[in-house]
Amino acid sequence: MNELIFHQLSKHYGKRCLFTELTLPLIAGQCLLLTGKNGAGKSTLMRILAGLDKPDQGEIQADGKRYSWRAYRPQLQRQILYLHQQPYLFEGSVWDNLAYALTRGLPRSEQHQQIEAIADWAGLTALLMNPAKRLSGGEAQRLAMARALLRKPRALLLDEPTANMDQAARLLTLEMLEDLKRQGLRLMVASHDPDWFQAVTNQHLAL
Amino acid sequence: METISSATWQALQLLLSGDTALWEIILISFRVSILAILLATPPALLMAFMLAFGQFPGRRLLIAIVNTALAIPAVVIGLTLYLLLSRSGPLGEWRLLFTQTAMVLGQIALAFPLLVAMAHTALQAADRRAWETARMLGASRLRAVWTLMYEVRFGLMSALLASFGRIIAEVGASMMLGGNILHYTRNIPTAIALETSKGEFAQGIALGLVLLLLAFALNLLLHYFQGKGQIAA
Ligand SMILES: Nc1ncnc2c1ncn2[C@@H]1O[C@H](COP(=O)(O)OP(=O)(O)O)[C@@H](O)[C@H]1O
Ligand SMILES: [Mg+2]
Repeated sequence: MNELIFHQLSKHYGKRCLFTELTLPLIAGQCLLLTGKNGAGKSTLMRILAGLDKPDQGEIQADGKRYSWRAYRPQLQRQILYLHQQPYLFEGSVWDNLAYALTRGLPRSEQHQQIEAIADWAGLTALLMNPAKRLSGGEAQRLAMARALLRKPRALLLDEPTANMDQAARLLTLEMLEDLKRQGLRLMVASHDPDWFQAVTNQHLAL
Repeated sequence: METISSATWQALQLLLSGDTALWEIILISFRVSILAILLATPPALLMAFMLAFGQFPGRRLLIAIVNTALAIPAVVIGLTLYLLLSRSGPLGEWRLLFTQTAMVLGQIALAFPLLVAMAHTALQAADRRAWETARMLGASRLRAVWTLMYEVRFGLMSALLASFGRIIAEVGASMMLGGNILHYTRNIPTAIALETSKGEFAQGIALGLVLLLLAFALNLLLHYFQGKGQIAA
């Protein structure tokens, strides 16, 4: 139970086939590393898993039942969150960005508690009142991760998360990924620089 | 030469002494134009949204029509509405000709295409990731729309200011549809035209100064918003 497996995923653009009949399980507490050259289709695949782009065909096996991608799309959009390579942060402070992800109508004290807890986890506490658009690459990526986690997703897909990071920020990201795995989240990381993620990787898919 | 300098002197006195006749005309101008912008903005934003993000047949044609409408001279819009609203016209029963309502309608027709075109450009510059991120974080469609508009608010403000600038200084449509009736439909541009033709320069110059000042302020604001928009992008 509690499974989330994609079957028979295919996608092409024009004459070019990015992948066909792909089977891809997202396993709780595990990290899947997705590698491939620029233009191989890593982003496209992740966007399809998150319900943002349409595949040519595809099915999802979830909690003992089988659905077409189309039928399951609303659930995908809720359960699987995709983090853009360059995360989009809204106008306003780090706090505002975190608050955006919280369900509306939550009691104020509950809001504060959740924001403070996730900010602490992501090492953003000192930056809470800073304008989000001014964050460094690493900080922005951490904010995007923290913000997505407030939605309590089943899976988190990170597209080239360490592209704009220095050494220290990369190590921090790895630690955070480890921690998320321990919490039972399903992770998927796309990277053309796979060495970095060996330590957290459970499965490897090359496109 | 003497008449001009003395007329200018008189104009300043009129303005600074709070001459009621003069300020009444200014008030009418602002009331009509602000009302027109307020009424035109919601449908214009909706249409700009559809043009920027919608996928429907005729979208390109609609964009072409909006851009064509931009080039229609104000007098032609005035004439069209005049024919519609005149006694024998199809909407003659509404008895709207030579009222402030008719002026508002004319200014809406003038502002609408400019609002749509500029808001469309602003929204096109919006990042697709902004929409996707909002939706992924659980925002309803409506909230996501609001978020997107907020992200490009400087471009949208520019659209409002430019459209306001276009209609507040416009003579042709106001003259034909309002009729330049004192205390009622006489606004800044029609008053300038009338006073000047009567050889009364002081009031004309005073009102001209108001328009000049307004244009200056609008341009400063536009410049400010456009600069902001570029930094944010
Ligand atoms: N909307 C689209 N229309 C046509 N081709 C596209 C579209 N999106 C992506 N592609 C193409 O699909 C290929 C895969 O792109 P992408 O998934 O971004 O690769 P990666 O993330 O591995 O670098 C690229 O060749 C790209 O040009
Ligand atoms: Mg990519």
